[in-house]
Amino acid sequence: MTLPARRFGKDFRPIDELLRTGQIHRAPAFEPPAPRPLSTGIPRLDAALGGGLLRGQLHEIVAPPGAGGTALLLTALGAATSAGELCALIDPADAFDPRTRGIDLRRLLWARPVDPVQALRAAEIALEARFALVALDLAGAAPPRKRPRGVVEVVRFEKRRSSPGSSPWARLARRAEKHGGALLVLGREAQAGTFAAATIELERGPTLWDGPPGTAGRLLRGVRSVGAVARHKRMPPSAPLPFHLPLEAP
Amino acid sequence: MARIACLWVPDLPLCATLRAEPSLAEAPLAVVQRGDLGGRAHVLGTTPLAEGVEPGQTLAEARAICPQLVHRQASPERERAAAQAALEAAAAVSPRFEEAAPGLVYVDAEGLSRLFGDDRGVARSLVTAAERVGVRAAVGAGGGKSVALLAARAAAPELTFEPTPHGVRGGAFRVVAPEEQAAFLAGLPLLALDLSDELQQTLRRFGLHTLGEVSRLPPGPLAARLGPEGAVLWRLARGEDASALAPRPVSERFEEGEELEWDAQSIEPLLFVWKALLDRLAQRMRARGLMARELLLRLRLSDGSWDDRTVDLAAPAREVAPLLQLLRLLVEGRPPAAGVTAVRLCAVPVPEVLDQLPLFGPRGASPTQLAAAVARLSALMGPERVGQPVAPDRWTPFAAEVARFAPPPPPRTPEEPAAEIALVARALRPPRTAEVRCDAAGNPLLVIGEGALGGRVVASAGPWRTVAEWWSDTPVAVDSYDMEVAGGLLLRASRELSSGAWWIEAVYD
Repeated sequence: MTLPARRFGKDFRPIDELLRTGQIHRAPAFEPPAPRPLSTGIPRLDAALGGGLLRGQLHEIVAPPGAGGTALLLTALGAATSAGELCALIDPADAFDPRTRGIDLRRLLWARPVDPVQALRAAEIALEARFALVALDLAGAAPPRKRPRGVVEVVRFEKRRSSPGSSPWARLARRAEKHGGALLVLGREAQAGTFAAATIELERGPTLWDGPPGTAGRLLRGVRSVGAVARHKRMPPSAPLPFHLPLEAP
Repeated sequence: MARIACLWVPDLPLCATLRAEPSLAEAPLAVVQRGDLGGRAHVLGTTPLAEGVEPGQTLAEARAICPQLVHRQASPERERAAAQAALEAAAAVSPRFEEAAPGLVYVDAEGLSRLFGDDRGVARSLVTAAERVGVRAAVGAGGGKSVALLAARAAAPELTFEPTPHGVRGGAFRVVAPEEQAAFLAGLPLLALDLSDELQQTLRRFGLHTLGEVSRLPPGPLAARLGPEGAVLWRLARGEDASALAPRPVSERFEEGEELEWDAQSIEPLLFVWKALLDRLAQRMRARGLMARELLLRLRLSDGSWDDRTVDLAAPAREVAPLLQLLRLLVEGRPPAAGVTAVRLCAVPVPEVLDQLPLFGPRGASPTQLAAAVARLSALMGPERVGQPVAPDRWTPFAAEVARFAPPPPPRTPEEPAAEIALVARALRPPRTAEVRCDAAGNPLLVIGEGALGGRVVASAGPWRTVAEWWSDTPVAVDSYDMEVAGGLLLRASRELSSGAWWIEAVYD
């Protein structure tokens, strides 16, 4: 039932009476609908994330080399730019290949900082500019150097300094929340910790080759990997999601 | 009767100086001629606190009268910008205006009643518009150009100096209604008109001192004695101004300039100057509802030449901080050949781009925010490292360039993204050199590269030969391989046939 406000004037006692006797009830407060999540471009992963990448939240992809972490990052960028969203790719390793298919390059701002510190600042600036998706690629071009066998490491017991990545993640998470952009971080190790709303982990599977070894015409067909949403603030961890990553023709 | 308003900036050198340095309005200031740094430079204008100092005195005389006197040299660049700001103030009120001289603008006040009310409203709007761009103006309104100018001069004694962040205010206006025009003119002295000295003396010998006395004379005998000049004087004294307004289109560029008192050899002093110029430019554009699409920077060098630079903005912008950073990057990347003696900044304006907020869903990036973000990122890492990625039309694998970031509007119907994920290559720029050992058949066995880019080759595919640049003097022929090394790293490596050198171009991920 709808009652015109002029019927009551400034005297709301009739309404109070109706409320008291239970003839009318208070309507729930109007809440604007939650913004639609951004698709990762992979429906199975979207379902595991509760709809996709949540706007205003920090997400993390943790993947070893060759497991498809970069592929996942670029697929999310492709899905967002295809939907008409403006995206930014912060790429300190200068590793992005513009010939990668599926991304609307007109809607992608590519920034190539010279070091990780600059990269974190650049991500902050992109979030403040309200880009819908800011992809921060901290995977680097090469994995960390292996420790040689047989070397004894001298360990000193001293006060541990705070990790250089600890405070920037809090700031980036706050920036994402304040300005409504989704931040997707790719790394070889988990870095954002509890500041990440979701952590997607990938594990490397077998490499797929076509043809017997040593023969002419042998081709790299792709790799298999297994992903999972290992941690999510609102969802339980997902079941393993097998991925087949075919190699794009160069 | 036509209604004309006159916007007049008295003491233009003084006003231009106070527009650039508003805090001096509360100091005993004298603006002196440019060029002569000694005490012989003549005073052009003073603030009220410089008591006893008059225009025409030498600086030495002025200092003797007022020991606390602060002096500044007149700056043609500042005066030019102040005159242009006065012109824009007139353009903000009426589309029909004429610049008779620097700092003197006639405005057609006809048909503005719906916007500003009567003549007083128009005059008040002109004063306000001028103050908004840092100019303190005297405004007059009357039945013709000459009456409007005389009214503006009559209002000049009421002008005050009040510093603001963008210049000075304290403008005044005088409106001469049609019915009071005769009385207004009759009381004015002949000195109010710009007459030649000879004519002034002649009129004085005739015993004529006011316009009212001239207007009461018969026109024929006056013209017979004084010639055509006398006839014009008689008409002016009666308020009969035959000269029509000649409207001109407003300039498409906003300019601000500054002359330095020394040759700037580094970027730091220039930053101070640019900041002030950008502040004033932004204020002027804000007053007109405009934004800058392009910035032109002109530097006058100590050898007399001009060094011109252009900043093409990704989107219209008006924020001072990112524009300042862009200018800094522009000059740091290519320093001028000699010291800088003067700076001029021109903004090519476009209508203000307003943000359209969505009814449902989060607010997206506005063009201004995008421009500011691109400018900030360019300042952080260099403009060549920020932009839209572009694949150049070359055979070189993994070549990339950046172009200006100018995203199109969102599509009406978003495209469906590809539902599958594919392995992609992470480019190594520049490619890393490596040592690769092969078996007798030429299959790679071991990769020794930088850092962890190496190891025993577990599996490989290739080679695929590429021959390019065969049409040039330096042809290129390479064999490319895909390799998986122990540890799982998937590499794309190439060997140059002529030298046998190996390099790793990309890592699959």
